[in-house]
Amino acid sequence: MSPLDDLKTAIKSRLGELDCVIGWEQGYDQLHATPLFIRSEADLDRLVIGPLAVHNLATYLPGLRGKKVGIIVKGCDSRSVIQLLNENLITRDDLVVFGLCCSGVVSHRKIRAALPVDPGFVEAVDLSTDTLSITASGQTTILHMADIAADKCQICQYPNALIADVLVGSPQESKVLTTLACQEEFEAKSEAEKFAFWQETMSRCIRCYACRNACPMCVCRDFCISTSRDPLWLGQENTPGENMMFQLIHVSHLTGRCTECGECERACPVDIPLLLLRRYMNKQVQDVFEHRAGTALEQTPPLLTFKVEEEGIKERGW
Amino acid sequence: MSPQNIRELRIVGFLCNWCSYGGADTAGVGRFVQPTDLRIIRVPCSGRIDPLFIVRAFMNGADGVLVSGCHPRDCHYAEGNFYARRRLEMLKRFLPITGIDNRRFEYTWVSASEGQRWQHVVTEFTRGIHTLGPAPSFNPVSETEWNKLAVQASEGQGCPCHG
Amino acid sequence: MRIGVFICHCGSNIAGTVDCPKVAAKALTYPDVVFSTDTMYACSEPGQDGIIAAVKEQQLDGVVVASCTPRMHEQTFRRAVERAGLNRYMFEMANIREHVSWIGKIMEDNTIKAQELVRMAVEKLRRNRPLIPKRFETVKRVLVIGGGVAGIQAALDCADGGQEVVLIEREQSIGGKMAKLDKTFPTVDCSSCVLGPKMVDIAQHPKITLYACAEVESVGGYVGNFHITIRRKATYVDWNVCNGCGLCLEKCPSHKHPDPFNENLCTAPSINIPFPQAIPKKAAINPQSCLKLTQGKCGICATVCPLKCIDYEQKDELVDVDVGAVIVATGYDLFDWHKYPQYGQGRYPDIITSMQYERLLSASGPTGGQIKRPSDGKEPKNIVFIQCVGSRDRSVDRPYCSGFCCMYTAKQAILTKDHLPDSQSFVFYMDIRSPGKLYDEFTRRAMEEYGAHYVRGRVSMIYPQDDKLLVRGADTLAGTQVEVQADLVVLAVGAEAAAGAAQLGEKLRVCPDQYGFFVESHPKLKPVETNTAGVYLAGACQGPKDIPASVSQGSAAAAKVLGLLSKKELESDPAVARVNQPRCVGCGKCIQTCPFGAIKEVADRFGNPKAEVIDTVCQGCGICTVTCPQGAIQLEHFTDNQILAEVQALCPPKIFANYE
Repeated sequence: MSPLDDLKTAIKSRLGELDCVIGWEQGYDQLHATPLFIRSEADLDRLVIGPLAVHNLATYLPGLRGKKVGIIVKGCDSRSVIQLLNENLITRDDLVVFGLCCSGVVSHRKIRAALPVDPGFVEAVDLSTDTLSITASGQTTILHMADIAADKCQICQYPNALIADVLVGSPQESKVLTTLACQEEFEAKSEAEKFAFWQETMSRCIRCYACRNACPMCVCRDFCISTSRDPLWLGQENTPGENMMFQLIHVSHLTGRCTECGECERACPVDIPLLLLRRYMNKQVQDVFEHRAGTALEQTPPLLTFKVEEEGIKERGW
Repeated sequence: MSPQNIRELRIVGFLCNWCSYGGADTAGVGRFVQPTDLRIIRVPCSGRIDPLFIVRAFMNGADGVLVSGCHPRDCHYAEGNFYARRRLEMLKRFLPITGIDNRRFEYTWVSASEGQRWQHVVTEFTRGIHTLGPAPSFNPVSETEWNKLAVQASEGQGCPCHG
Repeated sequence: MRIGVFICHCGSNIAGTVDCPKVAAKALTYPDVVFSTDTMYACSEPGQDGIIAAVKEQQLDGVVVASCTPRMHEQTFRRAVERAGLNRYMFEMANIREHVSWIGKIMEDNTIKAQELVRMAVEKLRRNRPLIPKRFETVKRVLVIGGGVAGIQAALDCADGGQEVVLIEREQSIGGKMAKLDKTFPTVDCSSCVLGPKMVDIAQHPKITLYACAEVESVGGYVGNFHITIRRKATYVDWNVCNGCGLCLEKCPSHKHPDPFNENLCTAPSINIPFPQAIPKKAAINPQSCLKLTQGKCGICATVCPLKCIDYEQKDELVDVDVGAVIVATGYDLFDWHKYPQYGQGRYPDIITSMQYERLLSASGPTGGQIKRPSDGKEPKNIVFIQCVGSRDRSVDRPYCSGFCCMYTAKQAILTKDHLPDSQSFVFYMDIRSPGKLYDEFTRRAMEEYGAHYVRGRVSMIYPQDDKLLVRGADTLAGTQVEVQADLVVLAVGAEAAAGAAQLGEKLRVCPDQYGFFVESHPKLKPVETNTAGVYLAGACQGPKDIPASVSQGSAAAAKVLGLLSKKELESDPAVARVNQPRCVGCGKCIQTCPFGAIKEVADRFGNPKAEVIDTVCQGCGICTVTCPQGAIQLEHFTDNQILAEVQALCPPKIFANYE
């Protein structure tokens, strides 16, 4: 049986005790998946998994608190689930986790860039292990998976769900590479260059808050301090400064919590490379606290605790 | 404008009421002369200092931010400076990626009795900020700069791998 | 809002380097400021009356005073605006003295800085709101930590004032350093005759519970409601039964252990009562030297004890006690003179400390009050006293003056002459510090009537010569080197912070200064208060002090406690955290980080978890406010918006309006 069939069988056996199970189905065309809320066995037929099922469904969990929910997670998504559990934002007893062993997902941004023209509506998609062929406007383009894999998949350390009541598929190896070249390249730039980059990039930001809404760790929802008057952290001017301030609020609130699922960057309609900030912050957290968010249950987020003697912090003398 | 010609830069201090604010008072009582750039915001504890206050100061054009609390183990509230140390260290380490020179931000510990140490910290920090000069403004400050930025944005000056 | 701004000249303290009228004029341009003036002394009666009058005439609903540090006069002005009919939290202070006029020399820069600090205060005040304190009851009981003379005085005064007192003492008996002294200056009366009756009063007072051999294990709670756990160390003697007959002391075969009460000049039995006047007069076993406890054999004391109160199995016991206030009177320790190489570092037995010399002088001491030098028991003829051993010396990190050494050295020189009329005392000193009633006359008497030879200079070296010690030093007045052949050298060791003070300070949240002495709330105006409400200081734990000063401070601390507990209820500081419940997502991060357990989880009417602050437990640190990502929990008086307003006042956004 294929992993999808295994998964369907597993869900079927648990569906009775759950209000819904969150998975993916095909979206408006074959290239795009969209979240699926499975409430009946009939819904189950529409379930898809694979490299096109890009969404981190854990984002829905805090909003479904109080309901019995099943969720299908890739390795990276499972970290978000663990982090939410560790922060007491969801309840384990109300949750059934169907874990996948994931071999990576695509970046639609990269696909778009690799195609000669914007495909508009995709007529057919053919997936093989190494290639993806896309037929749009009667024209077929074959893309290599290696070229269109999401950045996070190139350095994935947790391909298999870290928390799962049911694990399907055969376990995958984690990647050898742990850092991205583009990240290193950007970090190596001078402060002035980075400053200019963000200034320009943030002038593109339209403050649509898609990055926030897609983020599984952004649980404040209607009470985000970026859109409140009390406290009034952020002005409504759409200036690079205020846009950057919003991003820094987001990163600051994610310190030691970000699971690097990349939903923020994926959701951004103006292609701002938000993960540059988050990966860098995560590296600092890792260096100082040896902490990776969402990799183990019962972890305390590093900013919610302390040590009297901090081995990781070298204080500067005067 | 070269740094030498600038009399004052904008330096914001966040000080714990129980120790460093008192240390600054002690320095005053001792008439320990200090550069005048620093403006002090009094908070009840370094644990009250949200790193985002510091970010806000920088985004609004502060040239330097100095945070000072009680020495570890001496917190009036037992644990505030332990939390503060973690938060502030993360901010200090994070700033470079944003293009803000992290030498513009320091955190330290000064007790209420350490007037001389406070004088030293303020003098050294202010000197450091003057060496760095005024911080660049994140928002363009003139119409010309706005237009320049708009052109850059439309061309996608960007980072080589992110377009 | 209608805000009034008052710029204080503080005489010339501020006006000398700040253009106060200019600051006042500028303040009128700030939003909501309707009245602004400069005033000579804002804190004086006319100054405060001026503020009150302005509040009434101008219908002000907020006041900014720019003057000294709020740590000095915030309370003063808060009371003033309260008298004017405003809520005390509708007041802000700009510190333009300690943080401006006293540290900057350039008038122009100072004036701009003062203007900005006032602007900041105005912007904060615009976001203040009236806060009303909550009331809570207090526990009518006091904990006194340390049974030296300061602690004894504090305990007796509190008890006489009608409060229950729990006095705990680390050692086996109360009495502290004073119990070891022979005589006291400047009256030369017997130390134990002065102290003894007070110690007895402690034992007999119906309102005092004494725990000796006890230490503070942990401290919880807050002013009015502290929860203290006391560790009563095992004494291996049932103190409820022991009547201090002393039979066990006589029969104990293990006598080898040095006697700490006698400054290790002699040895003591392993089961001991430190001195005849000890309170409580109970025996205790030293577990380090007792044969039964170390080797499992002996057990003689258990056999001879007529009351059968020896218990080799006894364990430490924890006692919980709730108190409304705490007085810390943990005293001091003597400087360890072995750090100085020039005094032989212990190679020469006839170099002793002043406290050891006290024991030699004392009639209840190891020599029965005869001065015999430790090496051969001979009476010394030439005695050299060296002052400032561990005082006023940066090289050993003791730059402070211990204050009492000059006086006790003079006393010891006088007593030496009394004991040994043929003797000659030499005193090496740096300066004679004798400010105190009859103190300077006393040192003069030592020199003039008792013939003590005072040499102004430091000793550079002491080395043995035959059976004597050759003391070589400088006489800076004569400009020569001097050498004295001494039979005995007495080092006037200074005071340093007591061992364990740092750990106790951590528990009580009282911070030590750089030398380990506890820091008072204000060096002049709040000498016995600490920065932790309900915790007071008495005696040398706050800094070196002689007996009269320690006793005075003990009484002062007691007066503070009696004042505190005389109120039926206390008011809690309303500047505490408050939860905006609709914003709260119930994640519990604030509960997790609160050091005081002041936040609890409650359910709203839909059963959703929400945080709630217990007002009287919250201390107002604001750790929770930073922890909450949605800003649902805000520390009153230091809310995000208030601090952001201050930041914005200092760093107004540089923005080119682009509204196309």
